[in-house]
Amino acid sequence: MSLDSHDLIPPEPPPKAMRISGFNWARKNLFSSVFSGTLTAILTVGLLLGILAVLRFIFSPDRRWEVIPPNAANYTVGSYPRDDLGNIWWSVWVIAALAGMSTVLWGVGGRVSVVKVVAGVRAAGVTALVVGVLSLWSPAGTAVQSWLVWGGAALIVAGWVPMRLLSEDRTVATANALAALVGLGMVVLWYLHLDRTSHWHLRLIVTALVVIAFHWLGRMAKRWLPDPTFKKVVTMLWVISFPVIYMHIQRNPSVAWEEVLPWLPWAALVMAVGPVAIGLVSRLPREQAAAVNFLLGAVTIFSWVVEWPMAIRVMTLLLTLFSMAAPTFASSPQARKVFYWSWLGGSLCALYFFLLGVASTGLDTRGDFLGGFNLTILLAVGGIALSFPVGLLLALGRTSTMPIFRILSVAYIEVIRGVPLITVLFFADKVIPRFLPPWVDVIGETKALLAITAFAAAYLAENVRGGLQSVSSGQFEAARALGMTTSQMTMLVTLPQALKAVIPAMVGQAIALFKDTSLVAIIGLADFLRVARDVVPNQPDSLGSVLENLLLAAVVYWIFAFSFSRASQRLEKRLGVGTR
Amino acid sequence: MMENGADNPIIVCENVKKWFGDFQALRGVTTSVAEGEVVVVIGPSGSGKSTFIRCINRLEQHQEGRIVVGGTELTSDVRNIERIRSEVGMVFQQFNLFPHLTVLHNITLAQVWVRKRTRSEAEERALELLERVGIPEQAHKYPGQLSGGQQQRVAIARSLAMDPKIMLFDEPTSALDPEMIVEVLEVMRELAKTGMTIVAVTHEMGFAREVANRIVLFDEGQIIEEGPPSEFFTNPRHPRTKLFLQQILSH
Amino acid sequence: MNRPSLAPPTRPPFWRNATFLKWAAQIGVLFGVVALGYVLIGEAAANMRAQGLSLDWDLLTDPPGIQLGEGIFVKPDTGMEAFYTGAVNMLRVAMSGILAATVIGAVVGIARLSSNWLASRLATAFVETVRNIPVLVQVVFWFFLSSILFPVLQEGSSGPIPGLLLVSRKGISFAWPFPQETFWQWGVFLVVGLLTARWAYRTRMRRAEEMGEETRPLTWALLIFLAWAIVGWFAHPLAGAVGWLFGLLAAQVGAIPVLVYQVMLALAALYLAWRWIHRFLESRRSPAGLAKLTDDDYFRMILAGVLGTGGAAVLLLWPGITELGANVFQALLEFCDQKFDFLRTGAPLAIGQPSVEVPGRFAQIADTGMTMTPSFFGIWMGVTLYTSSFIAEIVRGGVLSVPKGQTEAGYALGLRRGQLLRMVILPQAFRVILPPLGNQYLNLSKNTSLGIAVAFPEMVQVGQTMFNQTGDTIQVILLWMGFYLTISLLISLLINYYNRRAQLVER
Repeated sequence: MSLDSHDLIPPEPPPKAMRISGFNWARKNLFSSVFSGTLTAILTVGLLLGILAVLRFIFSPDRRWEVIPPNAANYTVGSYPRDDLGNIWWSVWVIAALAGMSTVLWGVGGRVSVVKVVAGVRAAGVTALVVGVLSLWSPAGTAVQSWLVWGGAALIVAGWVPMRLLSEDRTVATANALAALVGLGMVVLWYLHLDRTSHWHLRLIVTALVVIAFHWLGRMAKRWLPDPTFKKVVTMLWVISFPVIYMHIQRNPSVAWEEVLPWLPWAALVMAVGPVAIGLVSRLPREQAAAVNFLLGAVTIFSWVVEWPMAIRVMTLLLTLFSMAAPTFASSPQARKVFYWSWLGGSLCALYFFLLGVASTGLDTRGDFLGGFNLTILLAVGGIALSFPVGLLLALGRTSTMPIFRILSVAYIEVIRGVPLITVLFFADKVIPRFLPPWVDVIGETKALLAITAFAAAYLAENVRGGLQSVSSGQFEAARALGMTTSQMTMLVTLPQALKAVIPAMVGQAIALFKDTSLVAIIGLADFLRVARDVVPNQPDSLGSVLENLLLAAVVYWIFAFSFSRASQRLEKRLGVGTR
Repeated sequence: MMENGADNPIIVCENVKKWFGDFQALRGVTTSVAEGEVVVVIGPSGSGKSTFIRCINRLEQHQEGRIVVGGTELTSDVRNIERIRSEVGMVFQQFNLFPHLTVLHNITLAQVWVRKRTRSEAEERALELLERVGIPEQAHKYPGQLSGGQQQRVAIARSLAMDPKIMLFDEPTSALDPEMIVEVLEVMRELAKTGMTIVAVTHEMGFAREVANRIVLFDEGQIIEEGPPSEFFTNPRHPRTKLFLQQILSH
Repeated sequence: MNRPSLAPPTRPPFWRNATFLKWAAQIGVLFGVVALGYVLIGEAAANMRAQGLSLDWDLLTDPPGIQLGEGIFVKPDTGMEAFYTGAVNMLRVAMSGILAATVIGAVVGIARLSSNWLASRLATAFVETVRNIPVLVQVVFWFFLSSILFPVLQEGSSGPIPGLLLVSRKGISFAWPFPQETFWQWGVFLVVGLLTARWAYRTRMRRAEEMGEETRPLTWALLIFLAWAIVGWFAHPLAGAVGWLFGLLAAQVGAIPVLVYQVMLALAALYLAWRWIHRFLESRRSPAGLAKLTDDDYFRMILAGVLGTGGAAVLLLWPGITELGANVFQALLEFCDQKFDFLRTGAPLAIGQPSVEVPGRFAQIADTGMTMTPSFFGIWMGVTLYTSSFIAEIVRGGVLSVPKGQTEAGYALGLRRGQLLRMVILPQAFRVILPPLGNQYLNLSKNTSLGIAVAFPEMVQVGQTMFNQTGDTIQVILLWMGFYLTISLLISLLINYYNRRAQLVER
């Protein structure tokens, strides 16, 4: 049977969607059965009572919310010397610049429907109005309540009028909408003028300007550079920014050059030997290359035995590792070039951070320059970054065919996963000093970072293991059949696939780690939670205001964790429709 | 006629044995393959034919006997294993392309890291090979976007890019739809014409009859019968061979 | 047939031998790890000597001179008693928390899937709020909330529900059936009741399947259990006979010399190792003999052998271990013996009601009811709500993981919604839910260690108080690790057991 085209029924447009009335919606979603109706009634009453209780709590005359703004500095940076707050602002601006640059990559520059924006404004207005009206039942009224009521009403009106005027398919650039939002925030902050002693609202405006300026810079850079290169450059800058901020900008190190100068030529020598060794090792036949590596290894061990300057020891060790990897990863001319550059970069970085790491801080403190949310971020980001390589090694060890590596990895992973983080923190805090010679003084922040890294690495290893196991054995066979060595196979075939598969799990773990950093409050570090629980409520002006401050802490942690998890859900969706 | 590949052998197997736990997969396989010879290995499933060709590039380790490929014996010598793997190409039933890399990158990866070519050399070679297997336009797609037949042809190109002396095919058409089998067999046929040494496990009897210099029948981990296709199909000596041919040719 | 003749085989030099390289690398790393450990421990020992500390276990037997907030031994006489108190407190929070978190999590998880818009939105709001705030913040918040916002305790306070519930800044006290001295005897009846109820459930179930009639297995089981409980309430002295049995056993255990136990246990260790190796060899047996084992196989067998002989040697060389075990076992039997007596009568349970007492200037909650201190309330609320938000997500994910086709097939067979849920969806969802649920139980147990932030005397808080007194940090941390690893191991064993059963039922 065949149909000619004129016999075919042409497609019809779908029927116009029936506009669902509020009544029908409620009947379907709230009162679909007797049980559902009862449930709705009970939950409504409970919800209203709950909201009232919360509002009465918040607007109670006993609450002293006004103690929070003067403590903004305590919350953000703890006991960082107030005269040097400029350093903190510099680090904020570095991040703002990178964020501005990254907005180009994150696809800001799209457009959003005006209707959506206006609907958002209206929703905010309704929320404010409802909260304001309900809070009138609380024992005492404050100025905030009238602000909520009138501001909410104004927002509703503001949102209602354009809705009537604008057509539905009008859009606005996301960047402009965001800029407007930031501007609004600035105005509000300016009006509130919370902390009159430091001109932080001015600096916030600078921050916003930096973001916008670098957004445009990024756009220009994107025109000059090919996309992948631009992406690589921005990623590299992000990676480097973190240690630079914490080791250089915030720590403000003062290097003792008279101690450094004697060994600096030697460091230069090691750096110069690097390319020679790498070139030799990658060109020579296997046995002779091994002999060169053996020699380098011997020099490294020797350097530790005779106690050369620490920087030279570390750099020699680094050189040995580079040279050991050279036969596998630097054998083609192009790869060798990349390898030379990475040696240059790696050794310079090592030297740079070593110089800064051993230098004493130029700040007017007793090494206690970290605190507040600053410390929380350092521990979270540092923990994630440092635990990544360790976790990878553990995961590879656990899936290895070599039984001793497997046993060691399994033992480590299972022991760490079997005990609570707080015991690991206590271990680092109390036991690590016991293992070190008495003159080595490790500060609490470093110990906490070590503990968090050790803890997170075990969990990360389990995630990565899941990814490794999801790579099919055919992939290994194909790589082997092409003549790859085990390390090439792992780096080029297995790990890229495994890591891609576990990105969502790793983001989830990163969020958990961010929340877990609050535990360092128990071993006495002045992180964000500790400021909220102990520091602020124990000041004479805000004595006993612990519930207010804890609520603030909860809200701040929540905002960060929630937006991360939302972002990761979007990422997951994007990966899902990707190339696999 | 290169009976048994006696002259100028490139693969020599002597009494090769292999166990999986207490199951013996190979029960003493002795054969050799001459340079430029096309050998098709057939046999019922579980007969050890796949294990045998996987032993040739040491994806499986044989436990007794000896295998010498291109004058290099397969032992636990690290250097030999790597040398042999980069000289023996292998094509798998499930293609095993790297899903996270583009087609082009799949083909250049091992050239750059194992054959030590520059990226431009490798890409040139890759495009040339893609042309040869008939899909130059797919170079920048990901394997997941290709049909099975196209994926298998990419896999063949990936192996050929290493300039192997020997190509092993492990049931290259078993996971393909009928219309795609043709295109893969066509590529293999072309390859055989160039004088490449080929050892292929396959159920494609038409291909075997037309292209092979020699057919080897495996059953229960041993070689039952081997011979040129003309003799093998028309005048089988062993009753097992007759039975197998009956079963396979009846449909 | 002429075969090409091969040159005689050559052995590769050892530095190119894959097997050699593999083992050299492993042994090298192992050596490195051991050497590092040796150096560190040596340094630690030197440091501790310099500070006048030692690595002995006197802290377990010495009087610790500390006071704990609540628990069995508020003023412990030995370190052992202190840790015992901490462990029991931790288990109290963990077990009640697991129970409550499971219930809340299941309700919220199902509510998220509800067709009722309000219910699902509220459940979502709960989950998103609670799981995105650090659990420590929540623990501290609930603690301060209860000690700041709750009513002040005064003479005559009787709380929101007089006689049943008393809420105050010094804690929450509620009516509770406390076990009396005859409880254990009644317990025997309960256990027997449980077993017979189980038996009845199974027989009725089988009958239902065979005969195809409604046999009401659950009702039967419940009634039988209730009957045993009621009969036991009055007839419990009969169970006193069990005590005699325990007494007899205890005497027997004490009569056998320790050496006998030692030898028996050592032989058992050797036998287990031998059996493992034997079975392994059997499974790897090849016609050509043992030569076909890989080096991994040898490693496994050597490890099993070393563990077996090592265990046996330890058992034989340190009689103290076996003696301790035997003593604990005997003490346990004697303890059970004391709980049973023919002549003991009276109700097994007695309801205690909350009340206030004023011993000095300030009112206190009397220990007539069950009391949650603010510390307990803080840690309990914190970990329970936090974990319940994760359990809710697991339950939701589990139910969603059942393919839609299952629901459709169920409806096509004419099952009602309830039946469908009970007989089709839940059994399948359960398999998916169980492993991550076990993980959450583990997390909850580990999170009880945050009790230290609200001065709740669980393991970590007790340990910290101890090492602040004595400086024995390493010992305390080893104790913690042992304790938490044991708990983790027990929970994962339990979950694995149920998991395997669930999988078997399905197959």
